[in-house]
Amino acid sequence: MHPVRPYQICTRCIMDTSDPLIEFNSAGICNHCRGYEHQKQTMVWDEETRETRLQALVGAIRNSGKKHEFDCLIGVSGGVDSTYVAYQVKKLGLRPLAVHMDNGWNSELAVSNIKKTLDTLEIPLDTEVLDWEEFKDLQLAFLKASTPDSEIPTDHAITAVLMQRARQHGIKYVIMGSNVSSEAIMPSSWSNGIRDWKYIKSVHARFGTVPLRSFPRFTLLQFIFSRTVYGLRWVNILDSIDYDKARAMKVIEDELGWVYYGGKHYESIYTRFFQSYILPRKFGYDKRRAHLSTLVMSGTITREGALKAMEEPICEEGLLRQDKQYVIKKLGLTEAEFEELMARAPRTIADYPAYENTLLLRVLRACYRLPRTLKAALSKASPGGAA
Amino acid sequence: MVGTRVIPCLLLCGTRLMKTVKFKDARYLGDPRNAVRIFNDKEVDELVLLDILATREGKAPVEELIREIVSEAFMPVAYGGGITTLAQAKRIVQLGVEKVILCSAAIRDLELVRQCSADLGAQSVVGCIDVNRNMLGKAEVWTHGGTVNTKQDPVEVAKRLEDSGVGEIIVNAIHRDGLMKGYDTALIKSISSAVTVPVVACGGAGSIEDFRSAVDAGGASAVAAGSLFVYQGKFKAVLINFPTQSELESVLQTR
Ligand SMILES: [Zn+2]
Repeated sequence: MHPVRPYQICTRCIMDTSDPLIEFNSAGICNHCRGYEHQKQTMVWDEETRETRLQALVGAIRNSGKKHEFDCLIGVSGGVDSTYVAYQVKKLGLRPLAVHMDNGWNSELAVSNIKKTLDTLEIPLDTEVLDWEEFKDLQLAFLKASTPDSEIPTDHAITAVLMQRARQHGIKYVIMGSNVSSEAIMPSSWSNGIRDWKYIKSVHARFGTVPLRSFPRFTLLQFIFSRTVYGLRWVNILDSIDYDKARAMKVIEDELGWVYYGGKHYESIYTRFFQSYILPRKFGYDKRRAHLSTLVMSGTITREGALKAMEEPICEEGLLRQDKQYVIKKLGLTEAEFEELMARAPRTIADYPAYENTLLLRVLRACYRLPRTLKAALSKASPGGAA
Repeated sequence: MVGTRVIPCLLLCGTRLMKTVKFKDARYLGDPRNAVRIFNDKEVDELVLLDILATREGKAPVEELIREIVSEAFMPVAYGGGITTLAQAKRIVQLGVEKVILCSAAIRDLELVRQCSADLGAQSVVGCIDVNRNMLGKAEVWTHGGTVNTKQDPVEVAKRLEDSGVGEIIVNAIHRDGLMKGYDTALIKSISSAVTVPVVACGGAGSIEDFRSAVDAGGASAVAAGSLFVYQGKFKAVLINFPTQSELESVLQTR
C-alpha cells in the first residue's frame, strides 16, 4: 500500500493527500491542476474555431447516418450531463437513438427524468436490462474484492451496450456526456478499469457464484477493433460547446421539466450509497473533492466556496440510513456480512489479474503517449514555449 | 380526485419481473424490488403482483420475495399465483399483502374461495379470471397461466366467484395482453353487469384514454395495466412510468 504521508492540500484547487499519488510543486500546486490545464488546452475547443469545427462535426455525423434511421447514439441516465447531451444533439439537428442501461438501481427521479426528456425532445429509447441475479453477484464480487472499483461493472456494461447497439443500427458516432469543465480531475488511484474486462472477469472468477451469461462485455481487442475496423467514434460533445453545468441545469429544468436529485451521479441509488458511504468510510476519500476541484479550476466556484461545500454532509443522514438498509437487503446480505466487507483491508486493481497490469498494455500506452510527452518536453525546453 | 383506481399489474416468474404478450413471449424487465420501489415513489395507490409460472409449474408462492416487496411498498399490494390452500393465503396476508388473488385454484375449487373469504374477509379475496376468445369470438375461461382451456363462460364463473365471497374480480383478457390496443370492453361489460362486486379491467391498455373506455363502456370500477407502465416508446424500451394525477384526472374525473 501507499506510505502514509503528512496531510497537504493544493493551494489552487482543493485536492489533497486523500489521493495517495498526488504531487505538489514548490508553490504547493498539485498535479491535478496542471492536468486540468492540459486537458482544457487539448480537449476543449477554443472559442474562435468552435463554431466552424462543430458544424464540420455535425456534418460528418449526419453524413455517416444518411442511409440509417439514426445518425448517433446517446446514453441516458437521467443525470445532468446525459440529459444536456440529449438536448444539445437535438438542437444540432441530429437524429439520435437513446440507450439506457437498467442495472437494477434506478431511482424514481432517474426514470421520470429520462421519460420527460425523451418525450419532450421526441427521441426514441432502447433499454438494456441487466440480469439482476448476475449483476448482483458481480457487485457483491467487487465488494468482496475490496477495491474501490465497484462501479466499474456498470460503466463497462454501458460501453459494451453502446458498441453493440451502434453496430446493430449502423451508427458510427456515440455522443458522450464526459466533459473537462466538470469532470477533468479524477485521481487514477480512485477508480480503475472501466474498459478492463480481464479485471472484471478475474474478480468475478474469484468471488462470484452466478455464471455471467448475459452480462454485456468487450475485450480490449474488440474495443480496438470497434474503433479501427468498424470506425466507431466517441465524441465528448460538451467539450465542443461552452458547457457550464449550472446553466445547463437551468435549461433542462425549464425546457424539459428535469428535476435535480441532489448530487453527482446520485440518480442511481447504489452510486449514491457507494460514493457517500463506502468510498469515504472504507477508502478514505470523497469524490466531491475532485468534482469541486474541477469546478474551482473551471472558474465555476471559488476555492473558498469549494472548501465550504466540503463541510456540508455528503448525503442527508436519514437518506443514507435508508439507502444502507436498502442496499444490504437488495444485495441479499445481513448487516453483519456487510460490516465484515466494510472492514476488509482495501485492495487495488494491482492485486488482481487485469489488462492494466500487463506489460503489453503499458508498452502500448507509453507508445500512445510518446508523441505528446515529447512535444511537452520540447515546448518546455524551447524558450518562451511554456505558458 | 381520481375516483377510479389505476393499478400497475406486475408479472413475476419466480423472482424475475417479466412482461408477456398474449400470455406468451415473456420478456425480462429486471428486479421486481426496484420496480416496486419506483412505483412506490410515484405514489401509486395499489399494486397487483401475479406469479404467472407458479401454478403452471406446480410451485408455491415465493414468500421471501413477497415479504421483501411488501416491506418496501407503502401502497396496498395484491398477490396472486400458486395459492392453493387457505393456509397459504393466510401466510401471504401475514407477510403484509392486503389482498390475495385466487386464479386457477378458485375456478377449480370454490370451497377455497369460501374458506378464504370467511377467514380473511371478502375485501381481502380477489378472484382473477383469465379470458381468451376462441376463433368464433366466444369468450372462454382459461387457467394455469393461459395454458388450460376450461371452456367455461366467464360470466357464469364470475357469478359463482361472487356467490362464494370474493370482494372483487380481475378480468384479464389473454387475447389483448401486451398488445396495447385497448381493453376488451364488451367482455368487461358482460361481467360488470352480471355481478355487484367491483370489476378490475386488465389486458390491453395502450394509453390512459383506454382507462376511460374501460370505465364508461366496460363498467369497470378499476383499471389495471402492465405494458403501459413498464414500456417507453416504439421500441418498447423498459422504463417504469406512471401518469401524473393531473393526467389521470383529465380522463378519469370523479363523476
Ligand atoms: Zn490542485
